[in-house]
Amino acid sequence: MSASGKPVMAIIDGGQHYHHDSITREPFKDFFDHVVYLRDVAKTDLSAFDILIIPCRTNAYFLAPLSGQLQAFMREGGTLVAMGETFPDSWLPDIGFRPMQTNFWWWLTPGADLGLRMSDPGHAVSRYLGKDDVTFHLHGAFEPLHPNQKSLVETAEGECQMFEDVVSYAPGRLVATTLDPFFHHGAFFMPATTRMLAGMLPWLSESEAERKAARTA
Amino acid sequence: MTNHPPNGSLLLIHSHYGEPPGLFLLAEERGDAVIVRERDLTPAHFTAARGLITTSHLDQLGFMDHAPELARLMARGGRWFFNGHILRPFLAGLGSYAPIAKARRADLVLTRLNEHPIFAGIDQPSFEENKGVAGFYGRGHNPLPQGALAINGIGPEKQPIDWEWTLPGGGRMFSHAGNDIGGMGGPNPNHALVAPRIIAWTMGEI
Repeated sequence: MSASGKPVMAIIDGGQHYHHDSITREPFKDFFDHVVYLRDVAKTDLSAFDILIIPCRTNAYFLAPLSGQLQAFMREGGTLVAMGETFPDSWLPDIGFRPMQTNFWWWLTPGADLGLRMSDPGHAVSRYLGKDDVTFHLHGAFEPLHPNQKSLVETAEGECQMFEDVVSYAPGRLVATTLDPFFHHGAFFMPATTRMLAGMLPWLSESEAERKAARTA
Repeated sequence: MTNHPPNGSLLLIHSHYGEPPGLFLLAEERGDAVIVRERDLTPAHFTAARGLITTSHLDQLGFMDHAPELARLMARGGRWFFNGHILRPFLAGLGSYAPIAKARRADLVLTRLNEHPIFAGIDQPSFEENKGVAGFYGRGHNPLPQGALAINGIGPEKQPIDWEWTLPGGGRMFSHAGNDIGGMGGPNPNHALVAPRIIAWTMGEI
């Protein structure tokens, strides 16, 4: 936590151009207090951060050797955020993932609806994100969902696209999504992906502040 | 490390998790191609190479560590086909990517500026849209190095989204400032057409 009480948000930079453009340009650059290059994570003291974001398509071959460090970060109270196409099923336990053939073209059909929705309108995340902010395309679904993983975004068939787990790594939490807004926003493409980040980043920060306040109360 | 052909290998840097891209699998059929995951990339891979293809998922921060080997590859007449937005000066003379701000459809028109064997016989505007949607090809440009030849332009100002550069010290680089081109089986058949040409160009065969 910073002196102002605002949670310290860090993000990994995998070196891809779309990471650079998402992290260093407006409108999101001021969210990130620290940027850690992927190959420097192993030698970085993560305890200085409250939130660590692994942006979309960070190379999972580099994440696998960091699994122990990332789990320890959560167990010490941190929030780890695994974004789309980072394949946390390959580097964290108890995550099920079923890939899907991506349909980039569904929206060309008049009146079509990808069917995504917020899983629980009563959850705080639904004050920050709505159906239109998470609707662009699918890469897969988290299944089977572990009982500790609470779905936040799902398809019409109930397939989980984003979950929060505040139990498995308590007092820390894990947020994971199959959606990949950093990739498309950073490639200057797909306005919905920019909206998703515009909702998700404040939710992460403000919910983290509430979690911290509750723990110290 | 595998045995490399005497004339040098085609080095394909696999920068994302999962299966290599279709272009790499096509190149692998040649027998002189080496697909290397970024974690396993060593200076020896560059030393053994004649040509290099990188994708838009390249870890450019890590790739800077290989700049000396890259320079030596170019100096001995090697070729590099680059996809993506340049962030770092891997070679002296390269500048950083310039995106089109809030691109509209008119900003995404493509124009052939100079003929090139990779694009021979292909109407460049036919690359503009996939299923009627524009923007996949690219949304900006990597600055044209001094002495480079612009191949395709984007937008009304025809900014050089594709260019070929013969370096002052030898070697050639092709820059495509967008999503990877030459992907197989996609919605735009042009990609399947250019895929074998990209491989042939990178190995100095066209």
